Amino acid sequence: MDFVLDYISVNTFWTILSTTHALLAVALLGALTHQAAAVLAPPRAGIAGGFVTHFRSVSGPRYAAAVCVLWVLVFIVGAWIYARYRLHVRILIEQEQLWKTLGVFEMKEHIATIGLGLLPVYWHLWKNARNAAYDSARKWLTVVLAAICWYAFLAGHIVNNVRGFGL
Amino acid sequence: MNAATDTAAATSSRFGTFALVFGICFAILYVVCEMGAFPMFTYHPGIDRIDPGFAPPRRDEGPAMYWYGWIANSALGASILGLLAAMLPEKIRGKIPLALAWIVPVVLLPVLIYSLKFYWRW
Repeated sequence: MDFVLDYISVNTFWTILSTTHALLAVALLGALTHQAAAVLAPPRAGIAGGFVTHFRSVSGPRYAAAVCVLWVLVFIVGAWIYARYRLHVRILIEQEQLWKTLGVFEMKEHIATIGLGLLPVYWHLWKNARNAAYDSARKWLTVVLAAICWYAFLAGHIVNNVRGFGL
Repeated sequence: MNAATDTAAATSSRFGTFALVFGICFAILYVVCEMGAFPMFTYHPGIDRIDPGFAPPRRDEGPAMYWYGWIANSALGASILGLLAAMLPEKIRGKIPLALAWIVPVVLLPVLIYSLKFYWRW
């Protein structure tokens, strides 16, 4: 990737990666939130609704593959910038003694990883969406993954607010 | 939640069993690796070097990162256990509760919070 640095600065390169990570996370967050709303409160048939009804009226199975792909992409980009974070962000936050901020980010790193490991079973449960025996596990696993995604998104946002761009 | 129907359908395929056991074991192994400091390798981002197993940070070489090594260990262990589970007879595979896929990560949450107690300074 060194050839890229002939055209843009190191800071710009990492800022682009960080922004890509955030944008992919927004897409993942949207997909999982729609899907979680659809399984937690499915709309009743035949009732014309407003915004909330349309929000939860998505077809869950159509989102499953996209969620898996997005989670993996967000994770790969996150793992890439993590080494840069360790050297150029975390050390500064340690010097500021913002321990809780660091703890919140460590937690994000852990639960996002656990979420990654749950993707195969999540995909399997949604691939067999017509199997009623899977309904409960599929519903609650989707909700857990959505909660993980929301936490990770907010924790990343907090750390970014502390350090700002220009890693 | 109907646990009986959950378990009955949990292993409709060998991939289903593998995926379920992989997810459960990956989460548990990851927490074990994190709390016990068992990385497969250590990455030193300051000097771009990888050491096998656990290697403490050295003076003037920057921090050591274990996260990648924990993931590698957890993925390897969970893959082995998942494959073994997938080879079990249908009668045994069918007894693995599907609900563990979401219960295990929820149960591990307070354990992770406790493992990070160093950071919760008020």
